[in-house]
Amino acid sequence: MFSQFFGGYLLNNKIVTSEQLTDALDEKKNTRMRLGVLAINDGLMSAEQVEQVNAAQQTVDKLFGDLAVEMGFLKASDVSELLHKQPTDYLLLGQTLVNNGAITNAEFETAINNYKSKLSLTNDDISSDQNNKLSELVSDFFHFDTAENAKLYTNYVTLLFKSIIRFIGDDFTPLEASISRSVCAEKTVAQNITGAYGALTAICADKDVYTVFAKRFAKDAYIASDEFDDASVGEFLNVLNGLYAVNESNESGTELSLAPLSFSEKVESEKNFFAIPVQFTFGEAQFIISF
Amino acid sequence: MKIEDMTVLICDDSMFARKSLCMFIATLGIKNVHEAADGREAVEKFKEVKPDAVFMDIVMPVVTGIDALKQIKESDPDAKVIMASSVGTQSHLKDAIKAGAYDFLQKPIANDQVKKTLENIAKEAD
Repeated sequence: MFSQFFGGYLLNNKIVTSEQLTDALDEKKNTRMRLGVLAINDGLMSAEQVEQVNAAQQTVDKLFGDLAVEMGFLKASDVSELLHKQPTDYLLLGQTLVNNGAITNAEFETAINNYKSKLSLTNDDISSDQNNKLSELVSDFFHFDTAENAKLYTNYVTLLFKSIIRFIGDDFTPLEASISRSVCAEKTVAQNITGAYGALTAICADKDVYTVFAKRFAKDAYIASDEFDDASVGEFLNVLNGLYAVNESNESGTELSLAPLSFSEKVESEKNFFAIPVQFTFGEAQFIISF
Repeated sequence: MKIEDMTVLICDDSMFARKSLCMFIATLGIKNVHEAADGREAVEKFKEVKPDAVFMDIVMPVVTGIDALKQIKESDPDAKVIMASSVGTQSHLKDAIKAGAYDFLQKPIANDQVKKTLENIAKEAD
């Protein structure tokens, strides 16, 4: 999940464009991790040193690691350790953006260092996807700390993104949320959470995006029809809200229930809600939540 | 009883939930699979097809899954009704067990849990 929020950070800070990011998300599965990016991430080399080795490689037919050792930037043991590292997802994203010319190694180095220091993240935090760190990241990204019911929003939205990764895919970028009372889209599905407290939840998207979302959730069980699309996207929302209710029950003894799903072209509420846009590689969907 | 000889009823207002469960049950060799989209239809279908196992959602329009379960148990105390719900909280679980549910599965339902539950019911029928 760090990869998706790192993508959102790059976008919000205008380091990359939406198109560059979407292309990179599409292509990152085919990207081969380069030693230079791993070395930058571990703080073993600066972007400038990586560029020097890259430039030297143009004139000498040698591997990056061997040249970096010869030039005194790395020890042989560093190279061996880096070669055994599993590339994390956000590094693959960064590498793809560098390969595509969207950012330079130096821009990547600055961005990743700023991002880690802003959220006090270590490489271990990122590779282990620690839950408390994910919650901090979600709260910081969407500024939930200033909202009433900040903890509920953080818990719900953290679970939302985990569920998107689990059931739909990891090729998305969260975008900045807006506060609204009405959202229109070609397709919307909504569900109220009732019980100890109430919440409005919904998913809104144009039809093409809604259909791909439905297909991805249904997998082999998919049947092409509008009714099935509603059933599949609705079931995603139902499962997400069910998992949220179970977590609340287990963690704080709060008992919640779910109302039946409703389908229309508009979500309206007398209370403000957060509308969270998520840019998938197949288009944008909005996730609505209000406690 | 052989698992493939079972008759199964799936009650869920979500077409997605019915179709995906139907699809998996078919892979177990079970041919007699029936569907109902709300609690009232579930009770009617139960009386009509006398299934060996019923998968029942809780949140459904017209008649809820728990009410449908109670009505089914009234007409057949031995009915094997597995509640399948996205909300598996302690209170829902308690309500379901109190009303006579055979088992409770949390959505998204894992296929191996469905298989195991049906195998247990088939074994108990011997």
